[in-house]
Amino acid sequence: MTMGETSSRHASTARPKDAWRYVRILFIAFLVLWLAFTLFPLYFMTITAFKTAAETNLTTPTFWPQDWQPANFLGVFAERTNFNALIDSFIIATCNTALALFLGSLAGYAFARFPRQAGGENLAFWILSNRMFPPVAILVPMFFLFDITPWGTDSHISLILLYLVFNLPLATWLMMVFFRDAPVELEEAAYLDGWTPLRAFVKVTLPLVLPGMISVAMLCWIFAWNEYLFANLFVGTAVRTYTIVIPTFTHGSQTLWNLQMAFSLIAMIPPVVLFILLRRYMVRGLSLGVVKG
Amino acid sequence: MARVELKSLNKIYGSGSHSVHAVQDLDLDIADGEFVALLGPSGCGKTSTLRMIVGLESVSSGEILFDGVSVTHREPQGRNVAMAFETYALYPNFTVEENLAFPLEVRGLDAATRRRKSREIAEILQITDILGATPPELSGGQQQRVSLGRALIRDPSVFILDEVMSHLDAHLKFQMMFDLKRLHRELGRTIVYVTHDQVEALALADRVAVMSDARMQQVGDRNTLYNRPTNVFVADFIGEPPTNFFKAEVRIGKDRPVLVVPDSDIRLTPGPAMAQAVMESGRSAVIAGIRPQSLHLSQSQGALQARVAINEYLGERSMLTVTNGSARFQCLAPPEVRAGVGETVQLDYSPDSIMVFDPESEALMG
Repeated sequence: MTMGETSSRHASTARPKDAWRYVRILFIAFLVLWLAFTLFPLYFMTITAFKTAAETNLTTPTFWPQDWQPANFLGVFAERTNFNALIDSFIIATCNTALALFLGSLAGYAFARFPRQAGGENLAFWILSNRMFPPVAILVPMFFLFDITPWGTDSHISLILLYLVFNLPLATWLMMVFFRDAPVELEEAAYLDGWTPLRAFVKVTLPLVLPGMISVAMLCWIFAWNEYLFANLFVGTAVRTYTIVIPTFTHGSQTLWNLQMAFSLIAMIPPVVLFILLRRYMVRGLSLGVVKG
Repeated sequence: MARVELKSLNKIYGSGSHSVHAVQDLDLDIADGEFVALLGPSGCGKTSTLRMIVGLESVSSGEILFDGVSVTHREPQGRNVAMAFETYALYPNFTVEENLAFPLEVRGLDAATRRRKSREIAEILQITDILGATPPELSGGQQQRVSLGRALIRDPSVFILDEVMSHLDAHLKFQMMFDLKRLHRELGRTIVYVTHDQVEALALADRVAVMSDARMQQVGDRNTLYNRPTNVFVADFIGEPPTNFFKAEVRIGKDRPVLVVPDSDIRLTPGPAMAQAVMESGRSAVIAGIRPQSLHLSQSQGALQARVAINEYLGERSMLTVTNGSARFQCLAPPEVRAGVGETVQLDYSPDSIMVFDPESEALMG
């Protein structure tokens, strides 16, 4: 056994230098290909945002703006409601995230600590499976359901509640995993030290799951920020999300590609900034096992 | 500090056909300031018992009294118990000092007092140099001390230690045992020490409560457990190496019974008290037990002969595994004895060291 291993290793490393060079070249080639694939849309989006409208409509596309138009970024706000759309999106995403996180943490805690009383693994999985559901299947029923509520469909609250359908299962499931990883002995020790369950939870367990909670918040927030399908059907007059503003740059006769791209770039800023600020927690949270030690 | 009484305590997990009877009719009376060890193999119900004492587990039936007052249905916060966990359960995002002071904070002590008290306890446990560190930076032994300190810092009714040394190496364990004994002497607290290790239990505790199969088997000091074990389980569990057991037939000799081990030449003659008990029981078959320590090598013709199967040199002594017919048992010999495999040795014993158990109830006779 050992002999065989040693001899086969000798055979494969007969020309190790050459072998490693090919691996490296292949690796870099794939990396370049992958980067080209993923970064090209972003690059084209950025240069388009700086082009003039005429340049965007050339039959032969240009890959660098002939005439830089940074004013496009102000031009998108000529329509004042476009800025309000970003605010509306922000309100909806933030409120929805807060709600999903609050309810998801409570439910996740229950599933982690009292699995039998909370309904067990099957119920927890059923909740998660709601996330796997094709949303379009419930599009029409949801519309009618929200239409009969006092606030109707065209309001912040309708989307804040509706997005819980997707974000709450995710938050519940992930928080359940994080709470399971937080040792129950710590809470028990806190009870014996004289702390009430609620204070023990806040002082001892919550800090342990905080990195996880922040990742969950990021995932929820980005989903709610980017949602288009339901927003398009539900809101549009009193409330507009930025996602339904983007198509409005397409008019009957032409599409203002430069403005559309400029607006899209602006809409990308909040999630990117959030991600950069919180990426330390994201990595810690998503790598699970937050408190093994 | 308090006297702790457990009265016919029961714990049943689950219900119906899936139920598990984890603790059955358990009685235990722990005096104020006493150091009692709860000893038993894993799964015997000792952890359930201690979790009921501290209030982390509900009681199915029975009563728990602290100083004569029932705390059976009190929340853990209302029982004033302190516990050191097997996993230490230190709060990972607090420093050692904050960990120590945590039980004081909830009692509304001001920061200066908390600081002074945690310094005091750190002094006793010799951990003043790590007060600023966080638990993940500490070694197992240091974490152990901090967890003891957090339990000791207030004045609890009872102090519970759950398998606190199972993750320490032998050297540290010895040091901790010494420290614990010293702390108990200095502070005079009621301590319940839960362990599966008889060495720890016998070395530390005033009395040892032996549990098995959800039931209390015997409560007593070292000598009682060793010399008068109530049943086969205790005789087997206490003592290292374990007691030799033989299924034997009772033959009545001239005036006293002789225990004949089938398929061997072994004839055991118990001491007078045990002999009388055997006679009174009227049993024709019994279980006989003798500790390896009670079998001595003899130069002349001994009470029984055996052939050496294994000779293990253990440093300060040798352990011989010997056979006689189909019987196989162990005895201890001084290290200088050079008994080769296959050699015949002569063994002697004092009749009083023979323990006889009822074959059905497995209880000690007499």
